[in-house]
Amino acid sequence: MAKEESPRVSRRSTRSATSTPTSNKITEGGTEEAVDLCSPSVSDLVYGDPISLDVLLSTFPGRKNQILDLIQLLGPLNSPTLPFFVYGGPSTGKTSVILQLFRHLNRPFVYSSFRTCYSLRILFESILNQLILHHRNAANGYSSAKRCDKPSDFVILLREALTGVIKSLKESVGKSKFSKSERPINGYMTYLIFDNLEVVREWGKASSLLPFLFNLYDILKIPEVGVIFISSTSPDMFYSNMSCVEPIPIYFPSYAENDLRQILLRNQANQKLYSSFLDVVLRPFCRITRRLDELCPIFATLYMQYCKPLSDPGAVPNEDMKRRLYSNLQPEISSALNEIFRVQSRSSPEAETSRKPEQIGGKRKLASSEKLNELDFHMCTSAKYLLISSFLASRNPATLDASLFDSTGGSDSRKRRRKSSDKVKAQQETAEEELLTKGPGSFPLERLLAIYQCLTSVAEGSPDEEAGPDDWIGIGGENNMLSSDVLLQISSLCNANILVKGGSCPLEGSTRYRCMVSEDLALKVARTLRFPLAKYIYRR
Amino acid sequence: MASSASAAVVGSSPHRPLPPALSDNNLQPLFVLHKAASEKEDRKSVRRRMNIAPADHQRVDAGECMDGFQEQLQREAFEFVWSKIEKTIKAVLKNINSDAFSEINSWILESFQAINSFSSTSSYEATRSFPTAIDPASKRLFTGLVLTRNMEFVDDLMTFEDLAQHLKSQGCHVANLSSLEFSADNGTGGCIRSLLRQFLLSAVDAADMSILSSWYHALGNGTPVVVIVNELERCCGSVLSDFIIMLSEWVVKIPVILIIGASTVDVPGNILHFNALRCLCSCKFTLRTPVERMDAIIEAVLVKKCSGFSISQKVAVFMRNYFTSHDGTLSAFIRALKIACAQHFVTEPLSCLLKGFDEDENQCFQEKYDFLQEAISKYNWSITSCRRRSKVDERGGKKLVSAMVELKRLQDGWSCALMCLYEAGKRSQIHLLDLLCEVLDPDLYASRSPDSNSSSRKGSFISQAIQNVRDLPEAQFINLLKSWEKHVIAIPEIHGKVKDLQYMWKFGNAKRRKEQPPDMPRTQTSQNHLNVQRASKAVNDRAAIFIEYLINDLMQPMECVPFHEIVCFKNVEKLKAALAGDPRRQIQVDLLGSCRTLHCSCCCRYRDILLPSMQDTSIMYTLSQEHGDVINLYDWYESFKLILQPTNKGKHKKQSIFSKKKDTGKSEKLNEVAIQGRFCRGVTELQIAGLLKMQSKRRPDYLQRVAFGL
Repeated sequence: MAKEESPRVSRRSTRSATSTPTSNKITEGGTEEAVDLCSPSVSDLVYGDPISLDVLLSTFPGRKNQILDLIQLLGPLNSPTLPFFVYGGPSTGKTSVILQLFRHLNRPFVYSSFRTCYSLRILFESILNQLILHHRNAANGYSSAKRCDKPSDFVILLREALTGVIKSLKESVGKSKFSKSERPINGYMTYLIFDNLEVVREWGKASSLLPFLFNLYDILKIPEVGVIFISSTSPDMFYSNMSCVEPIPIYFPSYAENDLRQILLRNQANQKLYSSFLDVVLRPFCRITRRLDELCPIFATLYMQYCKPLSDPGAVPNEDMKRRLYSNLQPEISSALNEIFRVQSRSSPEAETSRKPEQIGGKRKLASSEKLNELDFHMCTSAKYLLISSFLASRNPATLDASLFDSTGGSDSRKRRRKSSDKVKAQQETAEEELLTKGPGSFPLERLLAIYQCLTSVAEGSPDEEAGPDDWIGIGGENNMLSSDVLLQISSLCNANILVKGGSCPLEGSTRYRCMVSEDLALKVARTLRFPLAKYIYRR
Repeated sequence: MASSASAAVVGSSPHRPLPPALSDNNLQPLFVLHKAASEKEDRKSVRRRMNIAPADHQRVDAGECMDGFQEQLQREAFEFVWSKIEKTIKAVLKNINSDAFSEINSWILESFQAINSFSSTSSYEATRSFPTAIDPASKRLFTGLVLTRNMEFVDDLMTFEDLAQHLKSQGCHVANLSSLEFSADNGTGGCIRSLLRQFLLSAVDAADMSILSSWYHALGNGTPVVVIVNELERCCGSVLSDFIIMLSEWVVKIPVILIIGASTVDVPGNILHFNALRCLCSCKFTLRTPVERMDAIIEAVLVKKCSGFSISQKVAVFMRNYFTSHDGTLSAFIRALKIACAQHFVTEPLSCLLKGFDEDENQCFQEKYDFLQEAISKYNWSITSCRRRSKVDERGGKKLVSAMVELKRLQDGWSCALMCLYEAGKRSQIHLLDLLCEVLDPDLYASRSPDSNSSSRKGSFISQAIQNVRDLPEAQFINLLKSWEKHVIAIPEIHGKVKDLQYMWKFGNAKRRKEQPPDMPRTQTSQNHLNVQRASKAVNDRAAIFIEYLINDLMQPMECVPFHEIVCFKNVEKLKAALAGDPRRQIQVDLLGSCRTLHCSCCCRYRDILLPSMQDTSIMYTLSQEHGDVINLYDWYESFKLILQPTNKGKHKKQSIFSKKKDTGKSEKLNEVAIQGRFCRGVTELQIAGLLKMQSKRRPDYLQRVAFGL
């Protein structure tokens, strides 16, 4: 982070002597683009201004072994290397280390990530564009240099492009001693880097692409090319049935707590204060995750909370203050540990005090006790009844429908067992577990409509339902209308992901539905209708 | 047989001219099913019709000209009024979210600055393929979660378009991605292609994020790129997750800010992949709820001066119930309003007076009066509310003009009283729609006797609102008075009363302050406090009396005013039929009584007997009524055949079989084939009409009936 800001301007000045090094970046953009266009050179293939090994090592605490291993594997200048495979958990610095390493070595490389290159064609054309030094812009109609979507074409074009690049690199190696305008490039070895290789496994065409990539080095037969794969899954996932030379594996273990501390401390203004903050939070969070990309945003918000009582941001904390700040932070930590996804609400400046992040996940149960009764989105009454009936259809076994919805009003006919022996309890537990693993049951449309019909008739029959300010309006006339829009409502429930269309039943051939709402939500909806849902839910 | 049916129509036509229902552009459900007549018959019938036409013309009386003029006036008036209402609705919907929009905009600017602080990439670096920043915090994608708080999405389509427009006007680059683009078969490529199409305004062959990056940096101006995803619920979770992860890798190079529309906060957690959720740095914004929007629309269209068009209590109740219990969308409500408006202008001849109703004033009516003199004398009888008052005479028109002016005055007073009531009820969250339904009730108005104190029943919304005024604490009370003042400013006498209330409040307040020096013993303070409370209570009571006066004096429901038919739509049955049309039922009715629709003389004579000359599908459907919910195909076919070939001359037939065995056998066989063909066609037609379900593999001989009962 800290290391890459200053040298940019100087590099540009060396590359294009015409542009003044002091000029503003944004206004300069246009001219620079033009310079890029008219003189694309092989120096585009290196990262930028080289950094020293010490800087590299200090940028990545805890990665010294891996960096040295990699340097050893890449070997001295212009020595051929076998392909190698860098792997390790997400957010362990694989891509950054490789890229900064090439910056240090100042060797040319071509980078392609399978996240961005979502299809074969995009991947091939992106690699070729980089090798041919082709920039897609408005002038060339954003088209690629070569159209290529088959592996066989790609090999031919790639070989062509690579030999061209290597040739010009060899020339420039000889030339650079004399000319000052071109930046020197170390050697003529060119490396192909394939990042996020694990994504390819989810592609449909993975079966053909993966062996092709792993064999690319053998197919090309150009010794001046190195191939590097980066993946967050281990190599065992890839070469199960492939006949190719296995690349040399390099493992990036996840960071230790100490490394994390060093990394997190790197850019902080008040090192002492942040260190005392990390003393408090790092250990509990490390038990959950060691991914930097998860920890960084959480710590950023927590640190803001931590610093809130302090008037002076540069203060050096003493023991007493630390204790005070910790007690202030403690409730926040436990909630932050549980949440998965945090949605902040923007509040107007005058209501600053009430600014409270709303949490989803673990904390929901705690927070929502006071607004239990209100539903936070609008649904019409028939959709609510449909939701309840679909919930019942998903939860209750179909055999129980007759007894629940018979003319006597149900729920009395239910058997009530009052055994509490251990065996029964164990049975209950397994049943609950089963329910959890199986998820909601599916049901045909007819059953849903039948239950809906029963529910609405029950609701209209009950005396206390409409006893409110509404009763003077009278809803007698709308009975037949209740059924006319139901199918429409079902489709909009499907759109809202409340109902999910399941596979069709093989015997009847009709689609089956499944209700995806939680019991909490269903109960909440029932409460808004004043419908006694709990009476109808079958519990084992 | 088909030819016989249509021939019957033609044959009967000389005796009976074609009713208007059979004219060309009036398609009835049965005609969809009805087989096309052969060419020959067709030509014949055309000739017949041409013969008939002049006769029709002759019968047209002199009033035709007047009718045409009248019709045109009505159409013009409808177009005028409806365009006005529509414009008002649009403006209301746009305004209601404007504060949310500006909030979103300022958030976008803040996040844009945050992104820029992370990344200071040059255009050269941005077009490189590798990620240039290694700070994990720079991968966060700023996401605005716009909560629509509605299960249905139809109403919010326009909202998101408005949002895009608003952001564009603020200088952002905006692309709108609908949920269709995030389908599993399109994949990530589809989304990027659509993005590029919207930003670059040209189709790109191989859609790649690097193109977007080079486009952005070629522009060279630092404006945020906003991507709006309409409807999260319907997006394919995996595709959207991939898209979000990809965007988060590019966010350093292209400052993309995502805006996602969802119904609740939980939706992203349910739909998106964990890795995608991790990338989001989200902030939520809430739009107004449908009920709030509804209230705003009603206030602007039906309560405040908009077009003069109003609805009766029954219609209002029907529309309210339709909204709350069936189709909770504003679009459906607006459609219902439009239908009501159109129905009103079609059925009410004097409705053309509504055009320019809200404008000034006497003159408008005077002008029209000259044109309408004749029409009024013709139609005045239809206005039931003034039948006993005005006779059809010379002065009828004059009376009408003065009545219209009076009507307008009453409407103004009514709307201002209702708004005051609504303001009072806001604290206990009384919705304007409910209040409107209650206020429009003519029975309630009739039951209100002028001298009784209680102006409404206990528990009703009106009494709740009045109670609210009584209980209102001081701080809110002055706000209420201010809002009242705003509403009643058009009516001087009431405005004066509100002013009086305000003076009274201020005076009381000043007095209290004077009475309460800062340093006072506690006991005295509490006593004083009691006094203060009592005083403010008195003001509250006065306000409540004032609002009751408003209700009693000004709140005359439209239906109780003479000449209200001109402005007020009352026919709830028509609206119901138009909204909740029951096409399947209509098909069944038409199938069972096909001869009535076809006006075929030979079949109509015998109502209940099935004749071979009847329409095939109609025979089959009538026959199927005898079965239960499953129909045995064979039985059905047999009875169908029996009707087409009546075997009452069985004996004779037997003989003939013996005598000319070969010949009849052949012809009968041919006939059998034709009958089978017609039977199959009939079954298919019934299936298409949705009255039958084809047999399952398990029970190949049985068909299932789908629709029962009429």
